[in-house]
Amino acid sequence: MTSLDSPPSFSRRTLLRAAGAGALLGAASTLALAGPGQPGGPRLAFVILRGGLDGLYAVPPIGDPAFASARGPLAEYASAPLPLQGVFALHPALTELHGMYQRNEAAVLHAVGLSYHERSHFDAQQVLESGGTQPYQLKDGWLGRALQADARKGLAMNTAVPLVLRGSRNIDTWAPSRLPDPSDDLLQRLSRMYGDDAALAGALQRARGLREGPEGDAMASDMAGGKAVAAFPALCTRAAEFLAQDQGPQVAVLEIEGWDSHADQAAPKGRLSANLRQLDAGLAALRAGLTAPAAKDAWRRTVVMVATEFGRTVEVNGTRGTDHGTGAASFLLGGAVRGGRVIADWPGLSPAQRFEGRDLKVTVDIRAPMKALLGDHLKISSTVIEREVFPGSPAIKPWDGLLSA
Amino acid sequence: MSPSLQTALAAHRFGLGEPDLAVVGPDPLAWLQAQIGPADPQQGEALASTAEAMRARAETARKAARQGVAIPDAAAMAAHAKARAEMSPGKKKDDPNRVDAAAREAQRDIAAQDVYARLLTASQTRRPFAERLALFWINHFSVSGQAAKVRGLVGAFERDAIRPHIAGKFQDLLRASTLHPAMLRYLDNQRSVGPHSRAAMRQPAGDKKPKATGLNENLAREVLELHTLGAESSRPGSNGQVAYAQADVTEFARVLTGWTTADRADASTPVAFEPNRHEPGDKHLLGKTYPAGQQALDMVLHDLSLHPATAHFLATKLARHFVADDPPPALVSRLATAYLDSQGELPAMYQALLASPQAWQPQLVKLKTPEEFAISSARMLRLDQRWLQPARDGQVSVMGQVLHEPPSPAGWPDKAEDWLGPDALWKRIEWSTGLVTRFGTAQDARLLARDGMGPLLSAETGQQLARAADGAQALSLLLMSPEFQRR
Repeated sequence: MTSLDSPPSFSRRTLLRAAGAGALLGAASTLALAGPGQPGGPRLAFVILRGGLDGLYAVPPIGDPAFASARGPLAEYASAPLPLQGVFALHPALTELHGMYQRNEAAVLHAVGLSYHERSHFDAQQVLESGGTQPYQLKDGWLGRALQADARKGLAMNTAVPLVLRGSRNIDTWAPSRLPDPSDDLLQRLSRMYGDDAALAGALQRARGLREGPEGDAMASDMAGGKAVAAFPALCTRAAEFLAQDQGPQVAVLEIEGWDSHADQAAPKGRLSANLRQLDAGLAALRAGLTAPAAKDAWRRTVVMVATEFGRTVEVNGTRGTDHGTGAASFLLGGAVRGGRVIADWPGLSPAQRFEGRDLKVTVDIRAPMKALLGDHLKISSTVIEREVFPGSPAIKPWDGLLSA
Repeated sequence: MSPSLQTALAAHRFGLGEPDLAVVGPDPLAWLQAQIGPADPQQGEALASTAEAMRARAETARKAARQGVAIPDAAAMAAHAKARAEMSPGKKKDDPNRVDAAAREAQRDIAAQDVYARLLTASQTRRPFAERLALFWINHFSVSGQAAKVRGLVGAFERDAIRPHIAGKFQDLLRASTLHPAMLRYLDNQRSVGPHSRAAMRQPAGDKKPKATGLNENLAREVLELHTLGAESSRPGSNGQVAYAQADVTEFARVLTGWTTADRADASTPVAFEPNRHEPGDKHLLGKTYPAGQQALDMVLHDLSLHPATAHFLATKLARHFVADDPPPALVSRLATAYLDSQGELPAMYQALLASPQAWQPQLVKLKTPEEFAISSARMLRLDQRWLQPARDGQVSVMGQVLHEPPSPAGWPDKAEDWLGPDALWKRIEWSTGLVTRFGTAQDARLLARDGMGPLLSAETGQQLARAADGAQALSLLLMSPEFQRR
């Protein structure tokens, strides 16, 4: 039942959608509460996967005719991928996410990406976080500018404020007091760097040898991602607690690094598998924290967006991994999300269909769903979005119908 | 040699590292030469002078004496703190080892503030060559604050005895160090009395605890072995001769008797010569005779300063610090000659170093100590004092170097083999990733590498930086790169 005397802050589009969906009274009363300036309003969590998650591995298009030949050994999984809509499936480690998908609480985005295609981590992360069209065009973050315009609070679940939240004066940080162990990825790169320095190389090798976990130990394999990744679910629990507070932050940002899978990415006890397990556990922890009784329905007011700076090459490289690519996968989950679907303008995997013959193409700029979240979920005006948050992107239209109500 | 390579070496090998080599200017040699002079006053608030530090000590000692407890040394204090943490409140009140909290706090605070000042000054200085030389001499004349007898004095020692004297005559530096209360206490000259001095002759009869028993050779030995002639010169050289032997040590100890610190809170000067404690009679050492009395020390220090073995020892240490763990003999010889030719002027040795081609070798060889690594990292990332909060030593101790508490009077070792174990390297990785996490994420390692390392950056490291997974990792890679771990 829609009410024509709903508060004027609601867009006509929202009302029409609610009318079209035959919204219940409960939904209407939720809408009435979710205006700006009200405690307990909409919540957004943004999870940055740093390093370039292989979207074709996390969300394999197993039904695509070119899939098996294109991906070669990376098309094989230790257990069956979890079915999604159409040709798509989910990596078997992402069981909790799949559960949310089945409950229509999660949507999967594919072949999304940036307008920047040069494949540098630095520059791509700069674009992902700044919301610009080219690297260093904008010096602060799109969420920071959004929060500044909206005079709301943001929270970085880290010791330092990431670029995406800069531009607002109202940002808190929170991080567990223990510093993370050096990651395996860093150690491998140090190892290569010490190639010509026998003394440093020797010391490093011995140090790593002293710290290696026993073979076949599941705990050690989760530690393959380093303590930082193993701590991700706990960080998510904490973030959920903050978000659930009435006067809590409107936006929280979490980060996981270590997705740069150049080698052995399919190893069942390797870095990528560990990261995917921890990501899944973290997303479940967010949901659990926000559906707890003390959270007062926060999950229904929440959207979590998971994004990475680029995908990876379609074909496997010489070390059973993948190199930097372009088109990526992204996730949207939360009680506010109209889930249970894969949103993609699928370009295909054959060589002719790839970007520069090697990568998944980008068919949708990732700012399109971002703009929709800011407008439809956080209720930021489109003027502010176009002028301040994502200036210079008039051609990118916010997606319609991302949210459930 | 191309100008920019010389610039980079000036900044990193002779200086303490720079985030932008442009600061060196067009003439790297001139940049370094202009810095030869006394070290700048340290930065930091409420830095205790020697007199103030001595007064604080005296206060603590008085309060402890009233309570009938001994002032614990660092290890005991740490253990005690741990034990107290586990005590119930009732027990804490009755804890017999409870030294007056305020007094204890004051001393600990002085010590922490001294370390803070040392690191802050080094990370901010615009005269890094002078600063490096100051740190070199501070390590040469090492005193350790670990022992209660020296606690709270190490910073004052650095500031008052060493820093002002690094660019004059070595003799003046030697004298200032030898006669500083920190050194006199650290090497027990406090307790040394001439066996035939009036003080010794006045020993109380019976089983009363004697106040002074006799000679203590500690200071004499270390001055000869570690500060001047060098231990090697006590072993027969190629000509079968030694520069000094046990007899010289003992005689020198006799010369040193009488020099003592005034621990009484109302003393007007921290150090005084007390004739009652001085061993009477002439002293014979190093083939010469010295009269009784307080002038003898200056005469001995003068002769020690100009001894060829001292020239060789100092030259070796300086060359080892700047050039290689096993310094080239030709370089050592050149430095020693310059020193002697100038009658013991330290700037002459520095100039000779700067004029030596071996000092400018392009290959980075010397491994940075944890302190050097920390300071150069702070400079590279342009950090302000926040890297020294809350841990005022910037967590350098995590990497195995507890500043102001070197393991022995020989100071911190200056060879890679002493600093490069697997755990040590691991700790450096942890320390640098922690630093980057706290402070570095806004910086671009590629720009820092280009502007700060210049031609010292290897192609391999440059590639690693470009391929790093994210900005933080790139910074960690830069700090842990071979060209940054070495200088």
